[in-house]
Amino acid sequence: MASVAAWLPFARAAAIGWVPLAKHPLPPPPFRISRPGVSPSSPSTSTTSATTTSIGERRCDEKIIINVSGRRFECWRSTLEKYPESLLGSNEKEFFYDEDTREFFFDRDPDVFRVILNFYRTGKLHYPRHECIAAYDEELAFFGILPDIIGDCCYEDYRDRKRENTERLIDDRLHEDDDKIQPKPLSSRESMWRAFENPNTSTMASVFYYVTGFFIAVSVIANVLDTVACGPDPETGYSRSCGERFSRQFFCLDTACVMIFTVEYFLRLYAAPDRLKFVRSVMSVIDVVAIMPYYISLFMPHKGEVSGAFVTLRVFRVFRIFKFSRHSQGLRVLGYTLKSCASELGFLLFSLTMAIIIFATVMYYAEKTVVSTKFTSIPAAFWYTIVTMTTLGYGDMVPKTWAGKLVGGVCSLSGVLVIALPVPVIVSNFSRIYHQSQRADKMKAQRKARQTRIRLARNATSNAFVAAKRRHEQHFDDSNASGDKNIVNPFESQHHHLLRCLELTTDREFVEMGPDMLMNSGGGASLAAGNSAMAGFTNFGSRSGRFLLHPRAWWCCKSRRRRKNSCKFNIERKNTNNANVSGDEIDAEIGDFQLPLTINPYNSSTLSPNIIIPPQEMPYQGNSTSSLQYNVVLHSNANEPLLPATNRFDLNLPLGTVNRTQLNRKANSLMAVYEHSSVNDTGKGESASKSDTYRARSPSSVSDSTFRRTTHVQIIDKDTHEAV
Amino acid sequence: MPKTSNTDYDDDGLETLKRYKPRSLDELASRTKFSKKEIQLIYQGFKQECPSGIVNEETFKHIYGQFFPFADTSSYARLVFATFDLRSSGCVTFEDFLICLSTLCRGSIEDRLRWIFTLYDTKKSGKITKDDFHVIVCAVYALLGNVASPCCDLETIREHTTTVFQRFDKSHQGYITMEDFMSFCLNDTNIIQSIDVLRTIV
Repeated sequence: MASVAAWLPFARAAAIGWVPLAKHPLPPPPFRISRPGVSPSSPSTSTTSATTTSIGERRCDEKIIINVSGRRFECWRSTLEKYPESLLGSNEKEFFYDEDTREFFFDRDPDVFRVILNFYRTGKLHYPRHECIAAYDEELAFFGILPDIIGDCCYEDYRDRKRENTERLIDDRLHEDDDKIQPKPLSSRESMWRAFENPNTSTMASVFYYVTGFFIAVSVIANVLDTVACGPDPETGYSRSCGERFSRQFFCLDTACVMIFTVEYFLRLYAAPDRLKFVRSVMSVIDVVAIMPYYISLFMPHKGEVSGAFVTLRVFRVFRIFKFSRHSQGLRVLGYTLKSCASELGFLLFSLTMAIIIFATVMYYAEKTVVSTKFTSIPAAFWYTIVTMTTLGYGDMVPKTWAGKLVGGVCSLSGVLVIALPVPVIVSNFSRIYHQSQRADKMKAQRKARQTRIRLARNATSNAFVAAKRRHEQHFDDSNASGDKNIVNPFESQHHHLLRCLELTTDREFVEMGPDMLMNSGGGASLAAGNSAMAGFTNFGSRSGRFLLHPRAWWCCKSRRRRKNSCKFNIERKNTNNANVSGDEIDAEIGDFQLPLTINPYNSSTLSPNIIIPPQEMPYQGNSTSSLQYNVVLHSNANEPLLPATNRFDLNLPLGTVNRTQLNRKANSLMAVYEHSSVNDTGKGESASKSDTYRARSPSSVSDSTFRRTTHVQIIDKDTHEAV
Repeated sequence: MPKTSNTDYDDDGLETLKRYKPRSLDELASRTKFSKKEIQLIYQGFKQECPSGIVNEETFKHIYGQFFPFADTSSYARLVFATFDLRSSGCVTFEDFLICLSTLCRGSIEDRLRWIFTLYDTKKSGKITKDDFHVIVCAVYALLGNVASPCCDLETIREHTTTVFQRFDKSHQGYITMEDFMSFCLNDTNIIQSIDVLRTIV
């Protein structure tokens, strides 16, 4: 708008030309003409311009500061109000107004915003090519700008990218669905269908795949060799084909192949989820056509008069080669391409037909005068035009007159154009589809690993969150006890409170998961997504059922030796309880659950507040790679729903050996789980020297130190060793 | 000619672009119990997650899921969404959202209890049956995900459902009406207090 404003003096000056024509005296000018920004229309009537300036002066002239993630943009309010439907143009932006800084703050991508602001300035929306289409779309949606406004210079680009992206997303979604279906227990029919469609599923499937492939090859080769000449006939002296000489052998071979194909076809038909659809599919039709000739010839009388028809039927055997398309991805892609290019192919055919008819007609009349010409009729001239237009030029029909030669020349030239024009479209379609399928294959290979990685990362994040929550609670109790209130992020604390409420509602507790669990879980969130509540529930139930059925899933099984030990340990537990330092606590918590849990001294996470470590069960091992089993008492808050957390984390206890160990364990439990730093790597001496550092630390801060974990672990081992 | 294949994409690409612009800030502030500042904050967060200004069930589930690590939040989010989707049109605009939120956060205790009732009344039949309770308890347990301990199974959920239902269904008629529900909750100081605990400072 500013640029238009610069031209206003000119427009006003040129309006002098109206003065002699004016029917009424012109109204007085507005008082101040200091930057009369904008009137939306032309300054034709100074009245409107005057009113906008006097009344809306503040509005029109105001400069607006827009802060997008720290980058400040300034522009005229009038510039923004050009598009009242968009966020910035409407009063919707008031939702983002920060009174303190007097600016509009948006927590969005400033790079894309530059493009959007340019749209307000110039009225042209461009698509920055390096931006991800999804991010750009989201940004446009956020600011309420329709992508249709994108200028012609970028629109095609935008469309292409968008289409590509949509296809990709659909692709991915399909694959995700595949993955989701996979874990379901399949019936034999379903698994058979999967084996047919996807030879990689099992050995059986791939064996079947190669066997059928081999027989297709054999039958095609036999079909070809059938006609090769194999020496003269001893009776008549004429040369005869191999098919006649070895008719028995060929028949046997053919029978074997057809049997295999028939069995294959019926198996597929049986396994197909939708049989009617299968029967009508192209592949199935090819199958039928490939085996039909054999059966027809079997039931047809071998008589002279029908042998002609019989021979034509044999031609259909060549369709067996199409069965290979199941085995070749390229062929399938070609099929898809032809399907998707149907309109282009139709156009090709149509234009060719048109050209052929035109040229054949002209040729016929041009050559009509020539004696004993081969262009006897228009249909006869078709052959010439086709041969010429495809640039074959057999030369069996040649124009004799100069007019015929001229038309023939034009015909061959136009043939090149007509045929060549639609071909690139087909080619580009083919390459697109081919690349897509290639990509899908590659993705399929990578997806599993990628998903595991994603899941791991996501779970690690969640784990870190649970750890943060626990830490926060601990911290909160701490500050309650000591009386000082630390300032914590209100959002975080309220979020933690929310989860705490959930814990109390369901009488459960969030725990962090060990690495094994991390690998196994996480499908849960996506598993039941989109299901109804009841369906979601069955999922949920089955998931827990799995755990119940396999209690071992709770155990991070790392060492068999240890597991045996743990069994013994569980039995002994009752006896050792009261002898422990923390025996009193246990007495107070008789109603609690007791769960055998495996704790990995250095990377474990599955830890609940109260850990009782019977000293005699802590055999120190110089090399503590094996996991140790401890009994963990988990709280059930059934009787005391609002039990203050302080009871659980009693940090004010004197730092006895066991307590310290306990603390250490707690601290350890808060560590990130995916770090698998080996205890063995750090030397003994180092741990001894670090232990002093540790002792100087206050217990409440123990949990905050995540980077000292290796040291801590060492100390634990050391301490427990001492305890022993 | 290649254009023909593109048109389908063009169409479905444009169809998804629905956009909603809320009414003015002042109007919203007068209609709800939030201050302007709070509405600003809520709207900013709202826009951030759903740039188009409209929430559908999927987005809603996604947002809700972010607060619960490891969990399957879809069932609970679906139930909550149903209570927000007043016109049952499948999407919730910012105004709907804000008005419901205002009832939940700043409304009277009766308003909130009424909301709880509509949440529990999954079939919208006007009364809560044991099945409804079962659905809601399942949804809440599903929020835990598989990181909770002790692990919860079907039995626990059934038990929980039965206990809670029996507590409400004093006359053993097999269902709970709005009146029963309200009178029970209003007499239970524990519930009243706990509801208050879940206030949020924006």
